[in-house]
Amino acid sequence: MPNVNTRVFFSKTDRAKYISHLDLYRVFQRAIIKSKLPVWYTEGFNPRLYIQFMLPLSLGQEGLREAADFRLTEEIPPEEVTERLNASLPLDLRITETSVPVMKNTDIAEAEYKIEAELSREKFAEFAQSEKILVEKKTKKGISEVDLKPNIKNLEISDKITLRLPAGNEFNLNPALLFEAFEKFSGEKISRIKITRTRIFAKNGEEFK
Amino acid sequence: MYRNDEMMKKLDEFLLDVQKPSRYIGGESGSVFKDKENVDVRFAFCFPDTYEIGMSHLGMKILYGLKNRVPNYWCERVFMPLPDMEQKMRERNIPLYALESLDPIKDFDFIGFTIQYELCYTTILEMLDLAGVPVLASERTSLTPIIMGGGPCVCNAEPLCDFFDLFAIGEGEEMNLELMRLMEECKKNGLTKAEFLEKAAQIEGIYVPSLYDISYNEDGTVQKITAKAPAPEQVKKRVIKDFDSVYSPDNFVVPFTDIVHNRAVVEVLRGCIRGCRFCQAGFIYRPFREKKTDTVLNQTKTLCENTGYDEVSLSSLSTSDFSDIEGLLSTLTAYTSKNRINLSLPSLRVDRFNEKIFEEISSVRKSGLTFAPEAGTQRLRDVINKNIKESDVLKGVKIAFEGGYTAIKLYFMLGLPTETDDDIRGIYALAKTVIDEYYQNPNRKKGKSPSVSVSLSTFIPKPFTPFEFEPQASEAEIKRKQKLMTDICVDKKINISWSKYDVSLLEAVLARGDRRVGKAIYLAWKKGCVLDGWDEYFDFGKWKEAFAECGLSMSFYANRTRSYEEIAPWSHINMLVSHDFFVEENKRAHEGTTTPNCREKCSNCGVIKNIGGECCKKI
Ligand code: SF4
Repeated sequence: MPNVNTRVFFSKTDRAKYISHLDLYRVFQRAIIKSKLPVWYTEGFNPRLYIQFMLPLSLGQEGLREAADFRLTEEIPPEEVTERLNASLPLDLRITETSVPVMKNTDIAEAEYKIEAELSREKFAEFAQSEKILVEKKTKKGISEVDLKPNIKNLEISDKITLRLPAGNEFNLNPALLFEAFEKFSGEKISRIKITRTRIFAKNGEEFK
Repeated sequence: MYRNDEMMKKLDEFLLDVQKPSRYIGGESGSVFKDKENVDVRFAFCFPDTYEIGMSHLGMKILYGLKNRVPNYWCERVFMPLPDMEQKMRERNIPLYALESLDPIKDFDFIGFTIQYELCYTTILEMLDLAGVPVLASERTSLTPIIMGGGPCVCNAEPLCDFFDLFAIGEGEEMNLELMRLMEECKKNGLTKAEFLEKAAQIEGIYVPSLYDISYNEDGTVQKITAKAPAPEQVKKRVIKDFDSVYSPDNFVVPFTDIVHNRAVVEVLRGCIRGCRFCQAGFIYRPFREKKTDTVLNQTKTLCENTGYDEVSLSSLSTSDFSDIEGLLSTLTAYTSKNRINLSLPSLRVDRFNEKIFEEISSVRKSGLTFAPEAGTQRLRDVINKNIKESDVLKGVKIAFEGGYTAIKLYFMLGLPTETDDDIRGIYALAKTVIDEYYQNPNRKKGKSPSVSVSLSTFIPKPFTPFEFEPQASEAEIKRKQKLMTDICVDKKINISWSKYDVSLLEAVLARGDRRVGKAIYLAWKKGCVLDGWDEYFDFGKWKEAFAECGLSMSFYANRTRSYEEIAPWSHINMLVSHDFFVEENKRAHEGTTTPNCREKCSNCGVIKNIGGECCKKI
């Protein structure tokens, strides 16, 4: 049997942003079974449909170009895979492209975010100028202090805020941290915030493929 | 496809602050979206419990699929939010909304509740209130929304009459569509609520409580029930005649989160041939009807393929009574094992529990095994017509032990009619024999020991059973029996547990209450009772206060023997099984005489007479 490594890019928006990372596996699993695509199961006593998500997305955040891998046991045109999966997935999870993996998930270096929030642009610009932006970050070992400032790249403040932050298995920064820090800085509570991960980049600077 | 964007925005502001937000947002695969412009009748299908509980319920899935098949009708789901969510909704004035459109349900044409257990009554009121709908039917004057109820509890809907506009008695498939059609017409022609209800009352199975007057005797019993024209004297339960071809959903809404029974479910039969005298389901769902093996297989395939579920379960009151059970199981396992699907089989009876069936289920799943002898001695099992012998239990247990099981769960009831202390001792004796049986097995694993958990519930006399006349045992009596049980139980391998008496008492009161009980429900709710089925929210103190404040005695409803001649609060409802039959069965119970099951011999329960034809001959 051929083993065709397959990578799908998908968007996770609106209602689907409330699907937790844990539940996302099940949602994809069911969609794949439903689509009747011939897929590879892990071997062993308890075979499991193999799906790997490249980079977890925080609950409540939207993603426009998320990536997941699985294996097909037959060659199937990518457009057909996209179509069959979309027919089976919940409305707010959409496959945008099916391709063959080029990079590994360990190649992931950073991600681009778009933030729509009700806050004062001037204040935020002032905040972004601070010498240091110290935040507490939960890690497996406990809580450590990180300075966001040197990690923020390509920051643009217009009616939306866009920026890039380190991403990946080794070092990942959640943009929510930045806005928590801003709330502390300005003393105002942000009532409405929408964080969207728009793109993922590899170490070589290219978009993740 | 329509969605209320305004509501979505409001929810986005705080949903991350509540536990498991995905249950409050809808949009799961299999959920149905429509274009609001093209919809004429909207139905909010409410399950008065949490999302997790409600989403496991088959009846809701059937009616959801059925109504949404009609292009211009839209049925959506609604559940009770947990307190963290409810509080946030109330703070922000967000009314209860439906999970598909996110529209407030107060703007729907129907708000329908499926009422599966008595302890959800206050939750119904809470949901109406959260929706911004007056809980009292008398305060709702416009045509819509019509508040309706269905499900097993509405066979005695009297305690709920203050709150509901109508009830659907019996099987809902046809009635629901007929009501929606009527609504479509009434809206077009600008009819009033009163006019709608009068027309609805003429649909078979529809009970409009405001069209009935009740008077009471001095002793508190019902004196007379008078129907106002055009409502019928007796509301007759609706039955689906051709069960094999009844609508069966070809898709389910599949939750994002993992709920307890997250799996495909296929209904294989309705009704029960057994006639256990304590069991309401056994009588109110008569007659017994089953689907063909092929029908079940096809429905299983369709459902698994459309949902992507890897587990399927068969639904029925007693799956082993399916006439071709072995054929069914081998047909199904052939399909499921080829497709990596687990087949699980609840409700098997021990007396039909043989090696063949055991093999089929154990090739699939190995968890603890459950048996329900219900009573400890043969004498008492004869009284309740639970036609299971000790040898049947032991045979089942033996097969289970040989198959490698070590944990057995046994269910019993305390407080059954005619019960004596010998029957209690019998429970222990039976559990002990099960333990002994384990050591009879020469191939038992060394170093492992068996365990038996004995679960004791309190008997609840229910309407439309031969025991509807019986008193529920008093708290003192039940406590004494529980103590007796723990006193005689010296074997550490036997573990005894029981349900709370208060809960069973309230269930008995609500199950057999009359219209006056509605006041107490209202008061209890006002005092803050909600989600009474949940241990952590149940507050019996408030219920006691509520009953005291409206001058009603719980023991009048629960602990009193009712004469055969007394007019029951539900006597204008015809569940097809006759009153005479229940009286006859009650007498036989007290004589300790059993009644054969419908497959052995028809005992003229009245169903054939009521629906005509050959109701049970086909079995
Ligand atoms: S009519 Fe006879 S066979 Fe049919 S349900 Fe009643 S007792 Fe059973």
